[in-house]
Amino acid sequence: MPNVTVRGPEAPRTIESLDPVFTVKNLSVFYGDYEAVRGVDMLIGNREITAMIGPSGCGKSTVLRCFNRMNDLIPGARPAGTIQYHGEDLYGDHVDPIEVRRRIGMVFQKPNPFPKSIYDNIAYGPKVNGVKGKMDDIVEEALTKAALWDEVKGKLKQNALSLSGGQQQRLCIARAIAVKPEVILMDEPCSALDPIATTKIEDLMQELAHDYTIVIVTHNMQQAARVSHRTAFFTAEVDDAGVRHGRLVEFDETSRIFTNPSDKRTEDYITGRFG
Amino acid sequence: MAVLSTPRSAVQLASKGTPVREHLFRTLLIASLVVAFIFMVALLSYVFVEGWPRLDSRLWENMPSIRNPDIAGAQSAITGTLWVISLTGLFTLPTGIAAAIYLEEYADKTRWYNRVIELNIQNLAGIPSIVYGILGLGIIARTLGLGFSVITASLTLGLLVLPIVIIASREALRAVPPSIREGSLALGATQWQTISRQVLPASIPGIATGSILALSRAIGEAAPLLMLGAVSFIRFNPDGIFASYTVLPIQIFNWISQSREGFHVLAAAAIVVLLVILLLMNSVAIWLRNRYQKRW
Repeated sequence: MPNVTVRGPEAPRTIESLDPVFTVKNLSVFYGDYEAVRGVDMLIGNREITAMIGPSGCGKSTVLRCFNRMNDLIPGARPAGTIQYHGEDLYGDHVDPIEVRRRIGMVFQKPNPFPKSIYDNIAYGPKVNGVKGKMDDIVEEALTKAALWDEVKGKLKQNALSLSGGQQQRLCIARAIAVKPEVILMDEPCSALDPIATTKIEDLMQELAHDYTIVIVTHNMQQAARVSHRTAFFTAEVDDAGVRHGRLVEFDETSRIFTNPSDKRTEDYITGRFG
Repeated sequence: MAVLSTPRSAVQLASKGTPVREHLFRTLLIASLVVAFIFMVALLSYVFVEGWPRLDSRLWENMPSIRNPDIAGAQSAITGTLWVISLTGLFTLPTGIAAAIYLEEYADKTRWYNRVIELNIQNLAGIPSIVYGILGLGIIARTLGLGFSVITASLTLGLLVLPIVIIASREALRAVPPSIREGSLALGATQWQTISRQVLPASIPGIATGSILALSRAIGEAAPLLMLGAVSFIRFNPDGIFASYTVLPIQIFNWISQSREGFHVLAAAAIVVLLVILLLMNSVAIWLRNRYQKRW
């Protein structure tokens, strides 16, 4: 076993009492004819941090991008199976992807602030969503929640690209918070950051989990162990026809995944035997 | 450092003698540049020296005259050029930018008709301008009945440079990283909000530069306008979009065709005016690019 800290204090509730935000049933994702991910079943618990780990090309980002329908933007991408958001089919005919993305925010791998001022970066989301109210207060609240306010309060009119990488990523988190979403999806949010900036983002995630449901894709197993309540382990497998598909191997409480995994492949991965 | 301790390595590190080919290639590159530069300097100094005696206020205060080169000016051609180029911009910029936005942001590139359109825009950029003149004469002047007027010239020149505007705008839009679009869409912005509030503002410098260069090409065009009535002898400024007109390149052509020396001097002076307008437009393009350049 590698020496990892497993998030301990508040043991997650049982999977039945999760009050799931997302219910994923037999989800497959196709790019054209290619089935990138096959047969995923999982639940995302309310106000929990769920981590998705696994080797490159196992489809964890693909699954994450289904949760806010970002995959709609890729020509030819289409899901099969169901994802329910509070019991409602996320891909139902009447569902507006714009409305979905307003409720389910996303933070990307590489910090992507808009080439505008810090203030305008935060104000953009509320503005396009027609939010009324004092914009100054909205900006301050979002930056405070993202633990960035003290660092930038004196330079809100400065270009966001002048911030450091870690600050930019927290700005992106603040930007997502400003539209008051229920869920925040994070696609390897720390992979472009140094260890100190990473620690800050991890602390922030813990803090945000009191108010938001967080799903994080990460390459960093220790990160999953440190921050998440539940972990989904994905891997890529070659089927009988010789085609690679991403598969969900195991989904459980993080402490169990890292100390007593029930699948041999999970154990091999977290002990560093492959991946 | 076992490698450095052997005597052979010293030989390997030593110079292998004068790299003749290196020098040759370098000289060739510089020579090519010098050819372009010499011709530009020769052209500029020739027209400047030749036109100097007539580079005074008579040039833009007086109207053309075929009798006396001393009192002849190019006012109607200068105002005509400004009228035509402004209307060309008014027509071609919105159209070209909108077409570029469609092709870059909306078009499904797997559809055959979008690929056909793309290919043809590339081809259109290479069609000789006289062909556009014929098109303007047949469709805009005659079929649409707009006659030999400022508007006919503007629409024709607009069509001529439209592919250049589209290609330049597409490149500017493509230079905006996809992560900016994703970031905006992930906040619940619509596609149009994303384009109008993030992508377009970020690509303005590139679009502006390309557009001004396209208009610079239009301002120097004489061939298509030869077919569209600009050769007539005009002693008044255009008073509207349906007015008769002439433009600087045509006026220059007229004066050079005259036999008297005084008109040749006048032509050289008018060329300097045309070059100054061109350089001003290009400076604006460079200024815009530097002023709003974005780094990601």
